[in-house]
Amino acid sequence: MSAAAPPLSHRKAPKWLPYLLVSPTLVIVLVFTAWPTVQAVYMSFFRQYLNFAKFRTPTFIGLHNYRELFTSPDFLQVLKNTAIYVAGTVPASIVLAFLFALLVNRAVKGIGLARLGFFYPTILPMVSAATIWMFFFTPDYGLFNSLLETLGYHGPENWLGNPHLALLAVMIVAIWKNAGYLMIFYLAGLQNLPEDVFEAASLDGASWWTQLWKIAFPLLRRTTLFVSTIAIIDAFQVVDHIFVMTQGGPSGASTVLLYYLWQVRFEDQNVGLASALTVVLIVIMLAITITNFVLSEREGA
Amino acid sequence: MMSLKQRVFSLAVLLLVLGLALAACGSKATSTPAPAATQAPAATEAPAATAAPKPVTIEVYYPVAVDAPIAKILNGYIADFEKANPNITVKPVFSGGYGDVKTTIQTTIEGGGKPPVLAVMLAADLYDLVNAGYVVPLDDFIKAMPNGSAYINDFFPAFMANSRYDGKIWSIPFQRSVVALYYNADLFQQEGIQPPNSWQALAEAAQKLTIPNKRWGIEWPSGWPYWLFQPLAIGSGQNIVKSPTEVVFNDPKVIAAVQYYIDLSHKYQAMPEGVQKNWGNAPADFAKGAAAMIVHSSGSLSGILSQAKFKVGVMAVPGKAPGTYATVTGGGNFYMLKGATPEQQQAAWKFIEFITQPKYAADFSIQTGYIATRKSAYDTDAMKAYIAKVPQAGQLKDMLQYAGAELSCMNLGKVRNIFHKYLQAAYNGQMTPEEAMQKAQQEADKALEMFK
Repeated sequence: MSAAAPPLSHRKAPKWLPYLLVSPTLVIVLVFTAWPTVQAVYMSFFRQYLNFAKFRTPTFIGLHNYRELFTSPDFLQVLKNTAIYVAGTVPASIVLAFLFALLVNRAVKGIGLARLGFFYPTILPMVSAATIWMFFFTPDYGLFNSLLETLGYHGPENWLGNPHLALLAVMIVAIWKNAGYLMIFYLAGLQNLPEDVFEAASLDGASWWTQLWKIAFPLLRRTTLFVSTIAIIDAFQVVDHIFVMTQGGPSGASTVLLYYLWQVRFEDQNVGLASALTVVLIVIMLAITITNFVLSEREGA
Repeated sequence: MMSLKQRVFSLAVLLLVLGLALAACGSKATSTPAPAATQAPAATEAPAATAAPKPVTIEVYYPVAVDAPIAKILNGYIADFEKANPNITVKPVFSGGYGDVKTTIQTTIEGGGKPPVLAVMLAADLYDLVNAGYVVPLDDFIKAMPNGSAYINDFFPAFMANSRYDGKIWSIPFQRSVVALYYNADLFQQEGIQPPNSWQALAEAAQKLTIPNKRWGIEWPSGWPYWLFQPLAIGSGQNIVKSPTEVVFNDPKVIAAVQYYIDLSHKYQAMPEGVQKNWGNAPADFAKGAAAMIVHSSGSLSGILSQAKFKVGVMAVPGKAPGTYATVTGGGNFYMLKGATPEQQQAAWKFIEFITQPKYAADFSIQTGYIATRKSAYDTDAMKAYIAKVPQAGQLKDMLQYAGAELSCMNLGKVRNIFHKYLQAAYNGQMTPEEAMQKAQQEADKALEMFK
């Protein structure tokens, strides 16, 4: 409305007005994001245990918490697990999401049902999904083992108790859960693509594969960027299924950063170390967000 | 195009909406659960003229993620209590598991909010809760009773083991269980096997009852392993906890217990290999005959009895030496939290007294499968009739004589995680039992060092 307003009345609007308008958002961001961040950074230099009177009052200990973290084999294992988890779940869910979107982006009878099928895992709460999958992964008669057996593989059976398979198992659940959700964005993207481009390409004799790879995919680059950002954030933030399926075990084999943070804060009640962990998590997320932002700016130019 | 007046108006509306939204956010963020609820809302109901006691409201937190329809049963008891004490309103809050209740209370107190007056939390959490200053001692209430020491002495001593600290009593047993060995008595009879009375006998029975790819001799869950492991350590002659600041992981007897668990799979091929993530499935496996024996919570008895089509035997876990047995207690107690008014605390104690009466202790046990916490509960007619029908319930109670203390110490979360990490590493063959338990001891000692 301001664009069309005459310049005179425009000048009359008080200077503080824009600030007032953004102030609610600003206050919320300050109170719920910025302040806790500052507090976490500050507390990470202190020793404070809530489960013992002697250490309830914070004592300044400099960088000790960080030293403790980076010399702890547990934490290094957690970092490694997190890297594997993110690198394993994010690309896989994105590729699957794109394939699902291609599959259901057609005007065929009953396609709604297929879309629902792919999207259904998203509606299910993660805890319920994890509970169902626990039965899939059950040794001896679980669905997963039965399936592998029909394929002629009498292989490792004890998915959640095996230190080499537990992380993979929780990753499979995350991929299954996320792919359908991310599919929605690709589906929306695909349906917004200009049809004449594809028509022209068809007339020029471009194959389906060329059309997909040389036209659709590049045009969906923005969508991919968005999808990858939320997929990465999700990978760091959603650990509900780990609580249900493995409790981070066996022997910490499926413990990822946020789960570890929960353990340190709420089981060990070690506020200082938990704050240092929070700072590490924030730094990692910030690095990823900035990289993503820089990439998107470059592509936008 | 809008006039200036219209614009100012729409701006005002916009601001109002934003302001309301913000206010809503703000109040949501600051109102940690209880504060408003704990102020007696029924103040107007009491006729001011009579000398009736002032109305009091108390909030009670219960974990519901346990093996019984807790909410329904407790609501019934609360109704009875309110009828007997018309001035007291009990507001139960049913939430998640034990961990969720503890976390909720923790965040409420640390956020400056008002915690509930009562909560059912793990008996083993005693030290963390007391050291954090979340709970109040109950001695004054007990002393004020006409028969306080008789009341306390009526609870099974094994259940009171995790209630005393620093010369005071901090919690009252409520939903308590033990680890039990369930066996398929029909199969035992068929194969001519006696209920095992030693490690050796248990292993041989399990081996004999195993049919490859069809039936395991025994299932012994180890996804969250310390609790079900403890009967092995105790049966070997050395419990893993000695004092609030001392744990015993590297004793040769404890190491032998770890080795025995591994032997059941490797030497006798009678148990699934490695860490068994089957806490939820084991009772069902047992009931449908896919496992001849399982080691599980006594709380699973009613579920198993309702499914199994054979005679179910229960017993304590056999010890290493012939004729010895072992088990360990578990479950939750009533704790009273800091920050309530004296009236609320009195009301809360009344509620504890009420709900731990032999009559209710017996009923709770019959309905849930938990072991009744008081000896006198077993003298009630209801309990006698129940045990006549379900003798296993009486056998579970008799196992209390073999019970050792559940792992409970300072810095429990950390110490328990250390033990789990290395115990599972040993179960999965990533370390020898000796190596794993030595490392567990080292790390646990470090975690307990500063709490001494």
